[in-house]
Amino acid sequence: MSRNTINSLGLLTLVLMVAALFMVFVYVPTEAVQGIVQRIFYFHVPCAWVAFAAFALVAISGIFYLWLGQQVWDDLGYAAAESGMVFCTLVLVTGSIWARPIWGAWWTWDSRLTTTLILWLLYCGYLMLRAMADDTPQVARFAAVVGIVAAADVPIIIVSVRLWRTIHPAVLVTRQGTHGLEDPRMVATLLVSMAAFTALFAWLLMLRFATLRTRTRLSLLARELGRTRAAVGDL
Amino acid sequence: MGAFAAILRKDLRLESRGGESTITLVALSLLILVVMVFALNPAGGAGDAGTAAGALWVALIFSGTIGATRVLTAESANGCLRALLLSPADRATLYCAKMVAAFIFMTVAEAAAVVIMVLFFNMDFDIRLARLAPVLALGALGFAALATLLAAISGRVRAGDLLLPLLAVPLFVPALIAGVKASGSALAGEPLSAFSEWLKILIAFDVLFLSAGYLLFEHVIGED
Amino acid sequence: MENLSYLFAAYTVIFAVIFLYVLFLWRRQARLDAELRSLEGGLRMVREELAEREASPSQASR
Repeated sequence: MSRNTINSLGLLTLVLMVAALFMVFVYVPTEAVQGIVQRIFYFHVPCAWVAFAAFALVAISGIFYLWLGQQVWDDLGYAAAESGMVFCTLVLVTGSIWARPIWGAWWTWDSRLTTTLILWLLYCGYLMLRAMADDTPQVARFAAVVGIVAAADVPIIIVSVRLWRTIHPAVLVTRQGTHGLEDPRMVATLLVSMAAFTALFAWLLMLRFATLRTRTRLSLLARELGRTRAAVGDL
Repeated sequence: MGAFAAILRKDLRLESRGGESTITLVALSLLILVVMVFALNPAGGAGDAGTAAGALWVALIFSGTIGATRVLTAESANGCLRALLLSPADRATLYCAKMVAAFIFMTVAEAAAVVIMVLFFNMDFDIRLARLAPVLALGALGFAALATLLAAISGRVRAGDLLLPLLAVPLFVPALIAGVKASGSALAGEPLSAFSEWLKILIAFDVLFLSAGYLLFEHVIGED
Repeated sequence: MENLSYLFAAYTVIFAVIFLYVLFLWRRQARLDAELRSLEGGLRMVREELAEREASPSQASR
């Protein structure tokens, strides 16, 4: 991954992000029911999409790491988990800010909110493992296993949380129907924001991936230096 | 099969001589129920089925975390794990034996917790407890499957005993939701059919984590 | 329009978090690059020394 690729990806992100901001604040019409605060939606949903994609990437690179044993997959999984965590945090925070004026509460145990929170906690554990285990050589395998197990758990989480909420009395209005995108300009804005966030995610992922590759090279180099020093000592 | 039985027998014999884990787990379950009574101040009787079910599942998570840590750290403490890995028994067999041992410890602790719950929450020893039994058994099996896999990881990491609940509890959430709901229904006197949906989720969770543990255990255990 | 502050807060949070994360990444990369350079320098020096000693074995033999 050359620095040039990363930089051009950064430039693309910037262009798309400016376009998305323009569309969100100037181009798109204000939604009738929720008013101006509905514009959070255009950045909230792309954050959620990117966070879920990142966590899928963690599991996929975990599978490839266990299968092929190449360090690249471990670095990719780590990078995806960390940047996914950034976006997952943003989903929760912007969702909370949006829920306050619309639902009248910062937090509700709505099925989507709950699932996202549990996902956030899962990957919090994953990153804690990586932080605590950085001095053990097996950390890559441990993280791969946790990443795979966490992703495998997601369908059951979704089913159980949904069932839990339908049985519970619904205190607040559900989100369904409140943002039917009736205007084609809304769809266009959402699509551009999606593209902007996908590019942003790819850029952050590559940045983090590059640091991890450097770290891997560093540890190889340190080992080589140790060997060469030993060779000098032997002479 | 011989290796599986041998490892399991060894764990159980070790426990029957010292009995530290079981006593610790039972005492812990008692303490948790006492804490829950103080914290939630239930009136007692069937009206508190939901609270009692919640208390039981909190006890299950605590006893499971400690139980799974015990069955794996007892091995690595004196180098027995290395000997076990050198033996012809494959890693999946080792996983099954350890998982069953953790499950048995948890079941003992859960049985004690149920008796204590009946006393503290002023319930009756009747058919409701029989309906509760499969729910708790499925929950304990799922947690044992999950925690045995994760304890192999946390046992090799510094401050790993802090890490285990951090990893295990969010993963256990679907089973926790299903288990608390099903236990609440069972204790409120509802028939098994009333919470069959929840039982299905528990079974799906158990199948998922038993197969995940069986397949992935070889990647987390080992000395390399 | 009374909800404008919520809208503002949401977008501020998004860009603040992303900015901080990029800053954090950039600093970590800079630190690693510096470490890499010093290590490469060390390796080169050791190798040169090794080559020198091989070139003049009389001096190196102890």
